[in-house]
Amino acid sequence: MVHSIDRLSDMFYWPTVDLLLWGITSLYIKNNTQNVPNIVLMIVSGILLWIIIWRGQYEITVNFLEELWNKNLVNLFVSPLKLSEWIVAVSIIGILKMILSLTFASLMAFFLYKANILYYGWYLIPFGASLILTGWAVGFFITGIILRYGTKVQTLAWTAIMLISPFSAVYYPLSVLPLWAQKIAKFIPTSYVFENSRLFLFKGYVNWTDLWISYGLNILYLFLAIVFFYKSFTKAKEKGLIGLF
Amino acid sequence: MDTYVLEAKNLTKKYKKFVAVNNVSFGLKKGEILGFLGPNGAGKTTTIQMLLGILQQTNGTIEYFGKNLETHREEILERVNFSSTYVDLPWRLQVKEVLNYTSYLYSIPNRKQRIQKIVDVFRLHKLMNQEISSLSAGQQTRLNLAKAFLNFPDVLLLDEPTASLDPETAYYIRQFIMNQRDEFNVSILFTSHNMAEVEEVCDRVIFINHGTIIAEDTPENLPKRIHKSRLELMMKDGMKRTVALCEEYKFAYVVNKRSIEVEIDEHAIAHFLSLLSQKKIEYDQISIKKPNLQDFFLEVLKHHENT
Repeated sequence: MVHSIDRLSDMFYWPTVDLLLWGITSLYIKNNTQNVPNIVLMIVSGILLWIIIWRGQYEITVNFLEELWNKNLVNLFVSPLKLSEWIVAVSIIGILKMILSLTFASLMAFFLYKANILYYGWYLIPFGASLILTGWAVGFFITGIILRYGTKVQTLAWTAIMLISPFSAVYYPLSVLPLWAQKIAKFIPTSYVFENSRLFLFKGYVNWTDLWISYGLNILYLFLAIVFFYKSFTKAKEKGLIGLF
Repeated sequence: MDTYVLEAKNLTKKYKKFVAVNNVSFGLKKGEILGFLGPNGAGKTTTIQMLLGILQQTNGTIEYFGKNLETHREEILERVNFSSTYVDLPWRLQVKEVLNYTSYLYSIPNRKQRIQKIVDVFRLHKLMNQEISSLSAGQQTRLNLAKAFLNFPDVLLLDEPTASLDPETAYYIRQFIMNQRDEFNVSILFTSHNMAEVEEVCDRVIFINHGTIIAEDTPENLPKRIHKSRLELMMKDGMKRTVALCEEYKFAYVVNKRSIEVEIDEHAIAHFLSLLSQKKIEYDQISIKKPNLQDFFLEVLKHHENT
């Protein structure tokens, strides 16, 4: 990462752009409406919590792509490295980079808008854990697809996670979605977390049942994603890892 | 019975209807350097990929140290390494970082000392802080080899290890490879298109073509299977009569200005020279070239393509 300016800028550039864009928008809304308290913190929290999912997914997928682009996959897998060890390693790197990125964005949010993510207190831990599980599940699923179809589908590494963002209700309550979208949202674990973050913001408590549902869904999806990733890796070995690029 | 550190049995790789490697079986003995030769597309790289476990074979088994690669992968790969001129390294990393992360991948004890030793051997001191992207092809090959020797491997798979090296470095590397074999009894599977190098380095050679092994013996014995030598005569007088003689006896020949090169069975050379003498054909220089590994390679390929 130290040698990769694009990977470094990814960690700080997009959170900065999002915070400026959405933070200023929420300031405008706050100054022109009376009925929405904590609007700035609500939107800024959405941005900050989204960083957790995004980095969880991005680190797994882009890490794998970097190995592909560098043709380094062969060097890794002719060594005694186990696939499970690689999975654990990229997941840990994902957590570390997420903490770095989140800390930077949180400080920026505090200094620019006086929005303090620590307002959520200890609830940040269950929220964050659930969100990163979603990021990992999407990350392994997308990496599995790239393993099967090669770099021609690499754009999924940047775009796929955005598919769940409208159903996650990151910046708005779930109730504003049309009924069909709300039904889909029931299967999206992140929707329960963002709903709970707003619940805590406006009412001061969280709905643990919903949070447990999000964990249940996450564990199921992560399990399925890792199984799919393993199967894709086996399939890729039939074609040859060198031929992947 | 030979005991092998690496044994491939009935190895086959099919891509739909195309058979890249067909029922290949061979063994690599302890401390042996085995040449794995064949033209481009013969199935060498496919076989090596299967031996490394990065390509799944369609049929057959691979055993290292008497253990199956599929069921004992990690245990085996700790004692095996690989270098190929055609496999890249992470181009954004520095040389020292590549060696460092490799030492972690193989859980090498006394990392710093081992890296230092390898850096000395492969003359990498001045390159340690350079990024891979800035290295020349020869420097990358040296680093690849350094990486391959880092874990004290018992079995090494070297895919054209000296390609893109200058003659002096290539010679140095060949000496190093042979010394490693002598000192540590390392077993090496060695591919190269440089036949002189194979003759120098390898104890035994396997020829593969169209995914099938077509010959296997020592580099000294294989050329002996060709009984034809090349007789070169620098003609003084009688080129036309010599050509006529070659055609009469159905010897293959090539005329180069004043000289003629005749492909002839070794036991027929004396008779041919006496015929020249009878016909008062004069030549002022004569040389007999015995077949070498390259001749064998070309002959076998020609024969294999024809059949």
